[in-house]
Amino acid sequence: MRKFSLPVAAFTVLVLAGGVAAQQPPKDPKTYKIGAILAMSGQASFYGTVMSQGIKQAVEEINAKGGVNGIPLEAVIEDHKSGNAQEAVSAMNRLITINDVKIVLTSFSAPTQAIAPLADQHGILLVNGGGVSNSLVGVSKYIFHNRSLAADLGLAAAAHLQSLGAKKLAVLHWKNDAGDSVVRAVTPYWTKLGGTIVATEAVPQGATNMDTQIAKIRAANPDAIGLWMFNPETGLAVKRIRELGMKQPVIGIEYTANDAKIAGALGEGYLFINDYFEPSADQPWSQRFAEGYEKRYKTKPDFYAANYYEGVYMIAELLKRARAKGGDYVNGESLKAALYTNPKFDSVYGGQMVFQPNGVALKRVGLFKVEGDKNKFEKFVEIK
Amino acid sequence: MDLVAQLVANGLVNGSHYALLALGFGLIFGTTRITHFAYGPIYALSAYGCWFAAAPLGAPLWLAVIAGIATGAVAGALAYLVVYRPFEREGSPPLVILIASLGLFIVLENAIGVVFGTDTKVVPAPPAGVFLWGPLVVTSSQLAQVAALVILGAGLALYVRRTRFGKAVLAMTDNPEMARVIGIDTLRVSLAAFVIGSAIAAVPACLILVKDGATAHMGFAAVFMAFVAVVVGGVGSLRGAVAGGLALGLVESTGMVKIPTEWQSSIAFVVLFLVLLFRPRGLFGGRQ
Repeated sequence: MRKFSLPVAAFTVLVLAGGVAAQQPPKDPKTYKIGAILAMSGQASFYGTVMSQGIKQAVEEINAKGGVNGIPLEAVIEDHKSGNAQEAVSAMNRLITINDVKIVLTSFSAPTQAIAPLADQHGILLVNGGGVSNSLVGVSKYIFHNRSLAADLGLAAAAHLQSLGAKKLAVLHWKNDAGDSVVRAVTPYWTKLGGTIVATEAVPQGATNMDTQIAKIRAANPDAIGLWMFNPETGLAVKRIRELGMKQPVIGIEYTANDAKIAGALGEGYLFINDYFEPSADQPWSQRFAEGYEKRYKTKPDFYAANYYEGVYMIAELLKRARAKGGDYVNGESLKAALYTNPKFDSVYGGQMVFQPNGVALKRVGLFKVEGDKNKFEKFVEIK
Repeated sequence: MDLVAQLVANGLVNGSHYALLALGFGLIFGTTRITHFAYGPIYALSAYGCWFAAAPLGAPLWLAVIAGIATGAVAGALAYLVVYRPFEREGSPPLVILIASLGLFIVLENAIGVVFGTDTKVVPAPPAGVFLWGPLVVTSSQLAQVAALVILGAGLALYVRRTRFGKAVLAMTDNPEMARVIGIDTLRVSLAAFVIGSAIAAVPACLILVKDGATAHMGFAAVFMAFVAVVVGGVGSLRGAVAGGLALGLVESTGMVKIPTEWQSSIAFVVLFLVLLFRPRGLFGGRQ
């Protein structure tokens, strides 16, 4: 009899504890506050504008249908001033102390890295739809990414250049964590493929003149040029490369509407690998989103707007799942557990995105080519 | 060798841009002693004035450039009359005016973003012509930047040396107190310096708009390089401002022959540091 007493007692405690937990009613807040730390001002405020618009649209749509679990969503948008880590930390502190948020949509690599320790300390779920550096993977216990990482896109771009027969690659990149992460990944990969890197030139984020860098690339006479940078420098780089008479294939990892505007007709033929967002009739959600966005903001949605839009919907789904477990469920730990109960979520891109154990979602990624004023989809690309 | 020649050419082009910015900033700073950091967003505002005339209103480019210059001149005049002049009247110390200037910088920069949006503005313009001279490649927009410096620099030099008003500007640059004592209308001259200096800045602003597009935040780099060029050239010397701008452009470009380009944005600081250390009055600063 004595032999069984300890296991039986333990079992009884577990059953009782489980029973108690299961019976705990959910502790609902009056509103679900979703913080967002974006580039609302500064050189890269284009991103903050489109991301915040995506967030607002999702919040409005969800609230119009009665909210989540009958509770309305509320977006609290803060500014990291185009990548300033210190501003991001201040914004995160405001979100925590003033707004008591437990969910934050984050963007850019440096700000996200800076707020990650605060997220761990306060149990805050982070959803990153914009930051692209590999260093963001696992930077917090509670971070998830619904944006493909720049290094993965860069590797796919390099593989495509190799398939075109390029041997000598020149690189123009942002001198920051996002750009450097692509250089670190692609340089050894390209060498392993049997190619050589003939020039690696850097520009600071926000550079308005890159003629010196392009002159050095021209002097290196590459077979192809990789642009490991983002808006608006991508558009400017494409324009100046073509203006200065270089005809080589140019491939990058982003091309926003703003880049297209800057490059104008000189963007013709530019290749890029990116998250595949293309509203179409066979993907009704993508079309509904695009129509709603155009109606609200009088412009077509960028894929960044789509990322933050679907990020809010993903959070809504997590809140539903976590609430079903009861108790104090609006925190990073409960929401993370809810995510891994089923890591598949509907994506506004079409189909589903699936979160890997490292927190990065696998989404549809495509190769595009600029033709006229359109980004022509060439093929889907596998990201490993 | 081909690369060096190309970088020298790029340096002259960029230097011409900096020199024009320095001319306008130096004229205002030298004449009024106001560290007019809001020169940056006024430069940006001029580009937006040009864009607004060319894109939404559909004006021809030459007319849009005139609109951009007018925008800069009016904004410069208002900055002086509305923001700086009241402090001058109160006899506020330069630090207070400097802080007012920084405040105006932030307000104007954000206002441009709020009013016009945060995307890059471009104007419909014919594609830049490309000229191949041996190993050198230059575009028509780059040549326009050099030509603008030559024309405006020569014009300003003639103006300050040959006209009575220009001589008053020079007198104020030399010694504002003495200028006042001998009866020069310093308010009028200060206002003129703001108008002319801001109008000068509007020209490179319009050229950059045509070449690369305009953003609400383009003014920071502009006022920073203008400030460095003026200090390097010597405060109060318009010739020094041009030399400082050209020197900065050339060093920033040719210095990259051997140095990795990731250091490019640091070069202006290094030049500023060295000049302040070894020639604090700048290349052409003399009597002060």
